[in-house]
Amino acid sequence: MGKLYDRLNQDIRFIEGLNGCMNCGVCTAICPAAEFYHYDPRVICDTVQSKDEKLIEALLRSETIWYCGECMSCKTRCPRNNTPGFIIMALRKLSQELGYFTDSEKGRQQFAIKRAIGENILRSGYCVNPDIVSPQMHPEQGPVWDWISRNTPEIMEKMGSNYKQEGVGGMRTIAPEVLAELNQIFEVTGCKTMFETIEKHSKHKADELGIEISDEGIGNEYFMTVFTDNNGTHNS
Amino acid sequence: MNNITQHIIIIGGGPAGLEAASSLGAAGYKVTVLEKEEQTGGKLRLWYKLFPDFRPSAEVQEYLANGQKMNSPEIITKAEVISITPEIDYQKVILADGQIFTADVVLIATGFQVFNAEKKEEYGYKIYDNVITSVDLEQQLKSGDAVKTVAGEIPQRIAFIHCVGSRDKKVGNIHCSRVCCITGVKQAIEVKEHLPKAEIFNFYMDMRMFGQNFEELYIEAQQKWGITFIRGRVSEIAENIDGTLQLKAEDTLSGRPMKMNFDLVVLLVGMVPAVGTDAIGKSAGLAFTAGNFLASNDTHFNQNETHTPGIFVTGTCREPLSVAETLTDARAATVRIISWLRDKELKSNN
Repeated sequence: MGKLYDRLNQDIRFIEGLNGCMNCGVCTAICPAAEFYHYDPRVICDTVQSKDEKLIEALLRSETIWYCGECMSCKTRCPRNNTPGFIIMALRKLSQELGYFTDSEKGRQQFAIKRAIGENILRSGYCVNPDIVSPQMHPEQGPVWDWISRNTPEIMEKMGSNYKQEGVGGMRTIAPEVLAELNQIFEVTGCKTMFETIEKHSKHKADELGIEISDEGIGNEYFMTVFTDNNGTHNS
Repeated sequence: MNNITQHIIIIGGGPAGLEAASSLGAAGYKVTVLEKEEQTGGKLRLWYKLFPDFRPSAEVQEYLANGQKMNSPEIITKAEVISITPEIDYQKVILADGQIFTADVVLIATGFQVFNAEKKEEYGYKIYDNVITSVDLEQQLKSGDAVKTVAGEIPQRIAFIHCVGSRDKKVGNIHCSRVCCITGVKQAIEVKEHLPKAEIFNFYMDMRMFGQNFEELYIEAQQKWGITFIRGRVSEIAENIDGTLQLKAEDTLSGRPMKMNFDLVVLLVGMVPAVGTDAIGKSAGLAFTAGNFLASNDTHFNQNETHTPGIFVTGTCREPLSVAETLTDARAATVRIISWLRDKELKSNN
């Protein structure tokens, strides 16, 4: 398997993202996630550059690496041109590969993202569109969303979009040859492999917890569990 | 010593150039100082008091003026050098107005310019009224009036931000400007003396107290004056509706991001090479450091000689230095120039 640090160091984002951190804290001072979560990008840099395998493994199994929003504000400020956001990307990828992401509540949400957005894009060509965001699953959208979702075709027409039609324009149906191309991009770039890895480890976790899981889609107990679980400790 | 006809041109009439001019003049050489401003004295004229002992800058200016009186080098002001051409046996110095000077040796002492704090837009200099630089504060202190906000009020809470334009790849300056740390300590104490009720915070990455009595002054700032030092680089400053400033940093020693409000923020601006140094250096084929200062031909044995025979460097055009270090460096350059000229004379006599 090799050392975790060496594996991180094969990731171009890690190589680009870490150029000797002096712990000045400017990344944490600009970081929106650090304001709300137990998250400190400076400490991420400090931990990985320690090359301490135990600490890196703990990080890969932690909630911490999933708090970053990848907004890249840190990149704009670091006086050494480090990018903690890139380091997070490399850590997340390694956590996915090793299955460590299923050890944390925020990490297990990888399964929900794969099943929702990941499958949406391959099926429809859209990560998110109005038909996918159901009011039941997204109460944060508020009561207006419920009304919109019941009147989508009329509203979309009034807004001038090409809803579910062929041709050009927003909300159009994505042509089958474009979807085929998207699928192929996902194949050759390794995204499909990543999806399979997430599936494999998530199924293992679901079995371990004795929670029902299906082969696809969001209509299963494990999806609902990882989608809604909140132990309340992430920002307390 | 008699019958010395060798001629030395010094480019720059700041502390380095004037001190070298005095030393070389005292040794009997003919010296010409070319100063681009209307007055000599350089950046020393911007400063009120010097670290670490609060000596008035005027005293050092007086010392330099005395050296000129005793050794009377030729000083030409409003003389902006644009290039140096090394010839086989002499140096040709060309001014912006077309005048040409020749000399056996050229000593470059073009100094530094203050980092333009507007480049760190996230700190809001020239955007928010109550964000000022350490140079602006020095002027305020020099005026003798109390330190005030733009609205004319006494600031209750003041922040000093270290490393503005230094150790920062984002502005292309990876070098440490060296003097800003101790300047922050000095100015914090001066402000506290004026405004005993004010709360003063210094935001730093490392406190580099390398000089004699620097660490002592740092301890005094904490123990006697109650100035707070927070280890964290400031990410940005925003103006509140009442004109006060909100500053964001991480207190890295406690590991928490924080927001604090201040009435006045002072940016400790670093040093970059003076305008014109780049063109002069390139014209003579000189090498540069990573920070675009003029490079010496040896880091340890010969900091004042360049790779081009007959062209010497001194003072802050080659690296950030304090006033005391600059004066010492100028005298060191003098010794190297004298031995180089004697060597040359011996060779030509043989």
